[in-house]
Amino acid sequence: MKKALVYIENGYEAAAIDLLEVVRQVGQNCAFETCALCLGGNGTAPEGYFDRVIRVVQPSPEWHDVLSITNAIEELHERDDFDCIVILATPMGRLLAPRLAMRLRVGLVADVTDIRLQDGEALMVRPAFDGKILAGIVSTGSKPLMMSVRPGVFSYKGARDKATDKADFIPMRASPRQVELLEATKKKTFSDIRDCEVLISGGGGIIKGFDQIQPLADELRGMVSASRRAVDNQIAPRSIQVGQSGKMVSPKLYLALGIHGSMQHFEGLRDVKHIVCANTDRYAPICSQADIVVEGDALEFVNRLLARIRRGKESKG
Amino acid sequence: MKIICLAKFIPDVDHFVYDYERNVLVRENMDLVLNPDDACALAYALALKKNRQDVEVEVLSMAPLSLLPNLKELLRLGADRGVLISDAFFSGSDTYATSCIIARYLADAQYDVILSGTHALDGDTEHVPVQVAELLGLDHMAYIVRFDDDSFLNGTCVFESEFDNANARFRVRLPCVLGVLAESRYKLPFVRYENLDLNVDDRVTVVTNEELGFSHEEVGIAGSLTKVASTWQPQMKKKEQVIVGNDDEGIETVFQFLKKEGYMP
Ligand SMILES: Cc1cc2nc3c(=O)[nH]c(=O)nc-3n(C[C@H](O)[C@H](O)[C@H](O)COP(=O)(O)OP(=O)(O)OC[C@H]3O[C@@H](n4cnc5c(N)ncnc54)[C@H](O)[C@@H]3O)c2cc1C
Repeated sequence: MKKALVYIENGYEAAAIDLLEVVRQVGQNCAFETCALCLGGNGTAPEGYFDRVIRVVQPSPEWHDVLSITNAIEELHERDDFDCIVILATPMGRLLAPRLAMRLRVGLVADVTDIRLQDGEALMVRPAFDGKILAGIVSTGSKPLMMSVRPGVFSYKGARDKATDKADFIPMRASPRQVELLEATKKKTFSDIRDCEVLISGGGGIIKGFDQIQPLADELRGMVSASRRAVDNQIAPRSIQVGQSGKMVSPKLYLALGIHGSMQHFEGLRDVKHIVCANTDRYAPICSQADIVVEGDALEFVNRLLARIRRGKESKG
Repeated sequence: MKIICLAKFIPDVDHFVYDYERNVLVRENMDLVLNPDDACALAYALALKKNRQDVEVEVLSMAPLSLLPNLKELLRLGADRGVLISDAFFSGSDTYATSCIIARYLADAQYDVILSGTHALDGDTEHVPVQVAELLGLDHMAYIVRFDDDSFLNGTCVFESEFDNANARFRVRLPCVLGVLAESRYKLPFVRYENLDLNVDDRVTVVTNEELGFSHEEVGIAGSLTKVASTWQPQMKKKEQVIVGNDDEGIETVFQFLKKEGYMP
């Protein structure tokens, strides 16, 4: 039976379990035995989802010690000979995946958004550079197939009914640690656009008036989000970027203001119930997915809608 | 103390040219800019050099020869040396092959630390610096937003990295590879007026495969471990929609829709 390995990073357990959906799709023709690798310490082994859960112990590498984690996975791979390795593209996962791929001398496809089977072979799909097309990528070298996947891109609906075989793994090759953690401070938990049901999102067409979106978001009890154009222009923080290299969001209402709707942006929109967009170009791709298209200047739209909402409130109260 | 800064020139995000026949990005004759994260890494190195006599900065880039002028610009900003790895032989290399090429040059180079950006904005991956570190047997850390003032003084460096939900301070022993984030806001200086036309030719070296000695199977498309098998236009079902103008009637339509669907608090 073919074998797949999923690395479970502490603190991202649920998102890593969703990677089983990737494994399921890659293995549509012949199912994989699934193996989770987690670090000892306070990480919780997700029982019931995987066939096997392996905990690296004695010593368990620290979360930031990418070299030791790479060493451990390499050793485990020498023993178990995996056919597929999937890594969650968290900040640390994004440093681990390329190092591991180089160590194993295999290709790596980053930020995979879909799996497609072509002549029995799994294509790893991601939007191509210009965001107008999707590219199906294959690994041309030897196995394992390796990819990284952002949190929230896939979701696993399988049952939690496996009799998980649990085992500890003691790596033999330790390497001296160069990177030493001095101190870590948790950020204040800001509200997250992923948890919000109403997103008012600004892009290239509203750069100048971006700061005027917030009042509309307040009126609709929503949050402001952004396309990468707004983030690249440094008028919006990266933490509110929607899309392939930002966050995956599933609001009920997505108000797209001056956003074109490139593939990379669409990748971030998952199960959105309603889209309303304001765009000077009614043929922009985002418009084809909208319930209502307001053809015109986005900032002007914001101010007019705001005025209408406030008028509605006055007449009520 | 010698710093090598990795610099990637990326297509101006607005002007990608993609060769759909060969499934590779066309990098010739294209408007390119320095990747923002890499620019911050270089900016930090140049600032350090300004404050400390013993710092030497080399900029290393792998790109078509047409980018030599862009590299020279960086020398006019204050970098001591520029190295352009360039050979038509390398064209089509994926991140794996690219890392192998850059690492082979670095294997014989002198340095105390290698600085780079964290992400490359065009492909939005972190692969090359990480894989170069792996090939050189060096440790690596990224997402750096700030270096401590006394960094690089006694064979160590202390810095702060920014993650999703936490900030962390690390100490690392040199040599190593470190990735800076654009959020660090280290800014490249402007070219000083007297340096606008400075001739920097004697400080730039072009390294080709003659020096690096790869075989055909090791680099370029043949040496890459990933390949675009096919591309297609995504099929999205068009939604039934209402198109309105930005006038009273249009605003009313939106307002009533939001109300009907329960979005009006
Ligand atoms: C590897 C990679 C990853 C990427 N990841 C992401 C990602 O995660 N998220 C993301 O968003 N992008 C991402 N991108 C970038 C993406 O390809 C687009 O460049 C970006 O989404 C464009 O943002 P935009 O639609 O806001 O801006 P633009 O492309 O500038 O579009 C502006 C839109 O506003 C309209 N407009 C102009 N003026 C007005 C006006 N006055 N009023 C109303 N409308 C107006 C225009 O008709 C147009 O439709 C990525 C790109 C790459 C290469």
